[in-house]
Amino acid sequence: MIKIDSISKEYVMGDNKLLALNNVNVSILNGEFVSIMGSSGSGKSTLMNIIGCLDVPSSGDYFFKDENISNFNANKLAELRNREIGFIFQNFNLLPRLNALENVVLPLLYSGKNQKERNNLALKALENVGLKDRIHHRPNQLSGGQQQRVSIARAIAGSPKLILADEPTGALDSKTSIEIMKILNDLNAKGITVVLVTHEDDIAKYASRIIKMKDGQIIEDKKNVPN
Amino acid sequence: MSLTDLIYLSQKSLRSNILRSVLTSLGIIIGVSSVITMISIGSGARQEVEEQIERFGSNNLILRSQSSSNRGVSMGANSINTLTLKDMEALKNELPAISAIAPRVSLSTQIIANGNNWLATVTGTTNDYFNLGNWKFELGRSFQDDELDSGSRVAIIGKTVQKNLFGTDSPIDEVIRINKVPFTVIGLLDAKGGTAWADLDDTIVVPLKTAKQRLVAKKFPGDQIRSMTINVSSSDLLFKTEKDIDTVMRKLHKISANGNPDFVIRNYAQFLNARQESSRVMSILLATVAGISLIVGGIGIMNIMLVTVTERTKEIGVCMSVGAKKRDILLQFLIESLMISLIGGLIGIGLGLGVIFGVSEYFNWKMSLDYFSLVLSFVFSSSIGIIFGFYPARKAANLNPIDALRYE
Ligand SMILES: Nc1ncnc2c1ncn2[C@@H]1O[C@H](COP(=O)(O)OP(=O)(O)O)[C@@H](O)[C@H]1O
Ligand SMILES: [Mg+2]
Repeated sequence: MIKIDSISKEYVMGDNKLLALNNVNVSILNGEFVSIMGSSGSGKSTLMNIIGCLDVPSSGDYFFKDENISNFNANKLAELRNREIGFIFQNFNLLPRLNALENVVLPLLYSGKNQKERNNLALKALENVGLKDRIHHRPNQLSGGQQQRVSIARAIAGSPKLILADEPTGALDSKTSIEIMKILNDLNAKGITVVLVTHEDDIAKYASRIIKMKDGQIIEDKKNVPN
Repeated sequence: MSLTDLIYLSQKSLRSNILRSVLTSLGIIIGVSSVITMISIGSGARQEVEEQIERFGSNNLILRSQSSSNRGVSMGANSINTLTLKDMEALKNELPAISAIAPRVSLSTQIIANGNNWLATVTGTTNDYFNLGNWKFELGRSFQDDELDSGSRVAIIGKTVQKNLFGTDSPIDEVIRINKVPFTVIGLLDAKGGTAWADLDDTIVVPLKTAKQRLVAKKFPGDQIRSMTINVSSSDLLFKTEKDIDTVMRKLHKISANGNPDFVIRNYAQFLNARQESSRVMSILLATVAGISLIVGGIGIMNIMLVTVTERTKEIGVCMSVGAKKRDILLQFLIESLMISLIGGLIGIGLGLGVIFGVSEYFNWKMSLDYFSLVLSFVFSSSIGIIFGFYPARKAANLNPIDALRYE
C-alpha cells in the first residue's frame, strides 16, 4: 500500500541544518497494523506526516497505492487525504465550536457528499465508536476518551484505507487507552491499515509489526504477535 | 463544499464572537448609512427643484416695480408703480434673448357667485401668463384675441376659487362678480398645490385690458403695470439677460449705474441653484464621510480577519488534514468577512433610513429614498468585505497543512 523510497527530511533553521529523516526506506502492506516507536525527537511524527501527505520530503520518492505522489500539488494531496487517509492526533484536534456530529461530518463536507448521505455516514461512524448518545455535545462537554472517540469517528467517516494515529493515547489514562486501542484493533480487523506512533510498549504491542526509530533512521523492523 | 455549508460554518464562528463582529462592522455601518443619506438628500433636492420648475416654469425672471427709499416716504409695496407697458415693449425690442413677456396687474378683492363669498387675488394679464407659468387647463380655454383687445368680461379661475364658489360643479359659463363687476367664467385651471408662502390655486385671471379698465383703473393708471414675467430663450442666457434687463431699465428710467433702482429683478433659478448647491455641499460632505468610513471599515475587517486567521491557524490545519483544499479555506474566510460587511451594511441601511426619516420630519427637508441607494449600499459593503477580506483569506489558504497543525 505504501512504499517510502530513500526519503530524507531536512529542516533548515538559520545556519543549522537538522536531518529529521535520514534516508528512510519502508513499505507497509495493505491490512497491516504497524507501531512506530522511538524516543522523542527520533523522527516518528515527521515520518507519519509524510505518510499522511501533510508534509513533503526533502528528497526521495513516496508511492501510495503504487502511484508516485512526490510531485502531487496541494489540491491533489488534499483530495488524497480526504479519500484515503484518516488522522487521529494526540490532542484530538476537534473544532471547539462544532458538536460531535458536525466534527465527524467535516471531512464529508470537503468530499462533496449531500447532506443526507453525510449525516448517515457520520452517525454510523459515531455508532461504531459507541458515542451515539453524545452527538450534540461539543468537545468541551466530553471527556478525553470520548473526544478521542469522536476524532476516530471523524477519521473513519469517509471509509479511508489507512488510519494514521500519532500518540493517540498520549493524553489519556491507561483504562481509556485500552478502549481506544480496542477500537483501532477492530478497525484493523475489518481490513483497514493502521499505522500508530507511540513510545509506550504496552500500546505498541497491539500491532503486528513494530518499527523502531532513532535519529531519523529505522533501526529495527520486526513482526510482533499481538496479545 | 456548498454555499449553505460555508455560510453555516461562518455564522458559527461569527456568533461565537458577536460583539467583535458588530464592532468590526462599525465603519461599514457608518459608511453605508452616509451613502444612503447622501443619495436621498441629493435626489430629494433634485426632485424638489424639478417640482418647482414644473410649478413656476423654467428660465423665468420676474421684473417688478419697487418704491425706493430715496423717493421719500414709502407708501407700501403697491403704492408706486413705475413699470409700464412701454418698458415691456422696449425690453422685447432691445433684448433678443427674451422670448416672451407676460405683464401683470393684480388686486385682492371680494368675489361673489352662486350665493357664496370669497376673497381672491385677481390677475390681469395676457395668454403668455399661462405658458410661462406652466398653467394647464382642466376645463374651458384661454383668452381669445378679441377678448384681450376689447376688454371682455371673461375670467379663468383656479381650483381653490372653484371649490369655494361652486364646490365640485363646473364653473364654465357661470357668472362671478369681481368687485361687483360681472364676469363670465371661460376656463378652469389645473391644481398646482400650495407652496410655503401661498396657495397658487387661489387665483382668478382676466384680460389685462379688462382689469385695467374695470378693476384697477385707479391703482394702475395709464399703461402702468405691477410686474412682468420674462421668459429667456435658454437657461445659459438667464444671468446675462438679467444684467441686460437691469441696464435697459436704468436707461429707460434714467437711473445711473450706481443709483437706487425703482425696480427689482427676481431670478427664481438663482434660488433653486442655491438650494441645489447647498444640498450638493452636504452630499459631498457625506460622501467624504462615507468614503473614509468605508475604507476604515474595510481596514478594520482586514485587521480582524488577520487576527482570526492567526487565532484559528490550528483549526485551518485540522480542516486541511481532513481534506480541505486551498479553495475551501479561501472561500470560508471570504464568506466570513463578507458576512461581517453585510451585517454592517444591513445595520447601516437601518440607521440610514432612521436618519432620513428623522431629518425629513424634523427639518422638513425633502428627502427621497430610492431603491438604487439600497442596492448600491449592498454592492458597496459586500465589495468592501470581499476586497479587504481577500488578503487574510488568501493568507489562510496558503498555509502549509503541517505548519498550521503544529501552530500553538
Ligand atoms: N517544523 C520543524 N522545524 C524544525 N525542526 C523540526 C520541525 N519539525 C520537527 N523538527 C525536528 O525534527 C526532529 C524530529 O521531530 P519529530 O518527528 O516530531 O520527532 P518525534 O515525533 O519522534 O518526537 C526533532 O529534532 C524536531 O525538533
Ligand atoms: Mg511526535
